[in-house]
Amino acid sequence: MSSGTLKGRGLVPGRAEGEAVVSNMAFTFAHGVDPATGNVTDVRSDVKGSEVKGKVLFYPFGKGSTTASAWFLETVRLGNNPVALVTEGVDLSAVIGSVMARLVYGKEIPVISGIQRNIYSAIKSGARVSVDGGAGEVRVSI
Amino acid sequence: MHLDPSQEKLLRGEGGEANQFAMEIVTKVGDAVGAESLVPIKSAHVLAHYSSLHDAGIDLLERFANSGGKFAVPTSVDPASIDLQNWKSFGIPEEYARQQFRLCDAYARLGGLRCWTCVQYQVCNFPKRDETVAWAESSAVVFANSVIGCRSNKITAGMDVACAILGQTPKFGMLNDENRPATIAFKVALELLSDLDYRSLGFFIGRNAGSRVPALIGLPQEVTSDDIKHLGAAAAAAGPITMIHYLGITPGSGTLGEATGGTKVEEVEVRRADLDEVETDLNQTSERPDLVAFGVPHLSVNELGQLAKMLEGRMLRPGVQMYAYTSSQAFDMAGRAGITSAIEASGARLSQSTDAEISPLKQLGFNVVATNSAKLAEIVSSEGEIKIRYVPMKDIIEEVTN
Repeated sequence: MSSGTLKGRGLVPGRAEGEAVVSNMAFTFAHGVDPATGNVTDVRSDVKGSEVKGKVLFYPFGKGSTTASAWFLETVRLGNNPVALVTEGVDLSAVIGSVMARLVYGKEIPVISGIQRNIYSAIKSGARVSVDGGAGEVRVSI
Repeated sequence: MHLDPSQEKLLRGEGGEANQFAMEIVTKVGDAVGAESLVPIKSAHVLAHYSSLHDAGIDLLERFANSGGKFAVPTSVDPASIDLQNWKSFGIPEEYARQQFRLCDAYARLGGLRCWTCVQYQVCNFPKRDETVAWAESSAVVFANSVIGCRSNKITAGMDVACAILGQTPKFGMLNDENRPATIAFKVALELLSDLDYRSLGFFIGRNAGSRVPALIGLPQEVTSDDIKHLGAAAAAAGPITMIHYLGITPGSGTLGEATGGTKVEEVEVRRADLDEVETDLNQTSERPDLVAFGVPHLSVNELGQLAKMLEGRMLRPGVQMYAYTSSQAFDMAGRAGITSAIEASGARLSQSTDAEISPLKQLGFNVVATNSAKLAEIVSSEGEIKIRYVPMKDIIEEVTN
C-alpha cells in the first residue's frame, strides 16, 4: 500500500512513530522476545530474529502464557520495547503491559486493536508508521 | 465501563496510590474487553516467579507494597523460580536467588498466602461452586471452572495483583453465563492407558478447540483428580482454554445437552493416532536426558507416594538428575509419611515451592529434559534451547535407573 490511514480501536492512548514489524501469526513476549535485546526469539514466530525495539509491532492475536505482560514490561525497563502495538483481536497482555509501563516507568506505548490482519500483507516490514492510540489511528507511509 | 462512586474514588486516588494504581489497570482492561462493571471476588491467585516477572516485576510489586497495598481477599501465591528452602544445593546463583526473594518479600508485605504452588486448589484456596475468583495460572483456572464450578478468567501478570488489592475484577469472559456452555465436544474413542495419555488428550483438545469451550465425553470411571489436573494443564498450555466440561464431573454438566445448553455442537472423536501425533510433536529427541522432571503442575502427596513406589529398589544412573516438583505443603506431608526418604533413596530429589518450567534449567546446565508433562514440553520447546523427551513416567524411570 502507499500511504493511508487505518482506523481501529484505541485501547491505550499515546502517540508513537517507527518502522513496522509485521507478524502474521499469534505472538507472545513470554519466552518469545528476549528483553535484554528486544529480539524475537520464539522459534515458531514468522518474525524470529527481528528486532522490536523502537518499532511499531503488528500481530493478529496474543498467545500463550499470561506472563507475557511481565516480559513486555521488562523490555520497557531495559529500553528495548516496541513504541506501539497494533493487533486484530484484543491482546490483554499488551493492554496490561502498556498500562504498567506508564505507571511504573512513565512511558506511553499506545495499543490499538481492530486492525484486520488481511491488510498486514500490504504493510511491508520497514514501512514508516505513526500511531495515535487515543484516536485509534494508524498512519502508514512508504 | 460503569464505576460506582466508591470505585471512582479509588480511581481518583482517594484510596491511596496502590488502590489507584490497581484501579487504573483493571479499568483499562475492563474497557478493552467491553466489561460493563467490576464485581467482587472471593479469592485471588498471583504469579511470583522471577524467571518471567524479571526485574520489572520486582519494580511493580515493590511499588504496590511500598505504597501501602494490601490484598483485600485471600490471595494464594504461585511457585517461585527457586526452591526457597534448598536453592543453594540445587546450584542456583546467589544473585538470582536474591531477586526472587525480593519478589517473595513484596508478597509477604502485601499479605499473600505464601503457599508457592500452582495447585492452590489442592492446598489452601478452596472456592465453592459459582463463586467468582480472579486467578492467574492457566492450569488452575481450568480446574476452577471445570471441576469446582467456580468462575474465573485467566488473569494476566500485573492484573492478578491489581484484582487481589481491589478484591474486584472486570466482569467478562467466563464470568458471564453466556460464555460458559460447551461449543465443541471431544469424545474419547480409545482406552486411556498411561499417565501420558491424559496429558496428550488435554494437549489435543487445547490444539483443536480454538477459542471454543470444549466438552469431554468418555473419561473412564477411574480417572483421578490428579489425572484431570494434568489433562487441563496440557489443554491450557496448548491453546486458549479456560474451561472443559467433563461430563459427569463438571457441576451442572451431567450430559452433553446440559453442557451445551441444548445447542447442537461439532463432535470430534479422539483416537490413538491423534495422541500419537501429539507425542511425536512434543518428543524432540531420543537422546539420554540429563534431567528427568515430574510435576508441572505440582505433584500431590498421592502422586509423590506413587513415584516412591515406582522407584523402590531402583538407583538413578550416574549423569542423570531426577526432580519431583511439589508444593511446600505436600513436601511436608511427604516427609512425615516417609515418602521423601523413599524417593531420595533412589538418588532422586524433591523440589518444593518451584517448578521446572519456571526455573533456570539452561543456566543450571541441563540440555535434554525428559518429562511426562505436556505443559513443560510445550514451554521449554518453544524456547529452543533445551531438547525435550516426552515419555510416560514408568518408561523413563526404567531407562534412567537400575
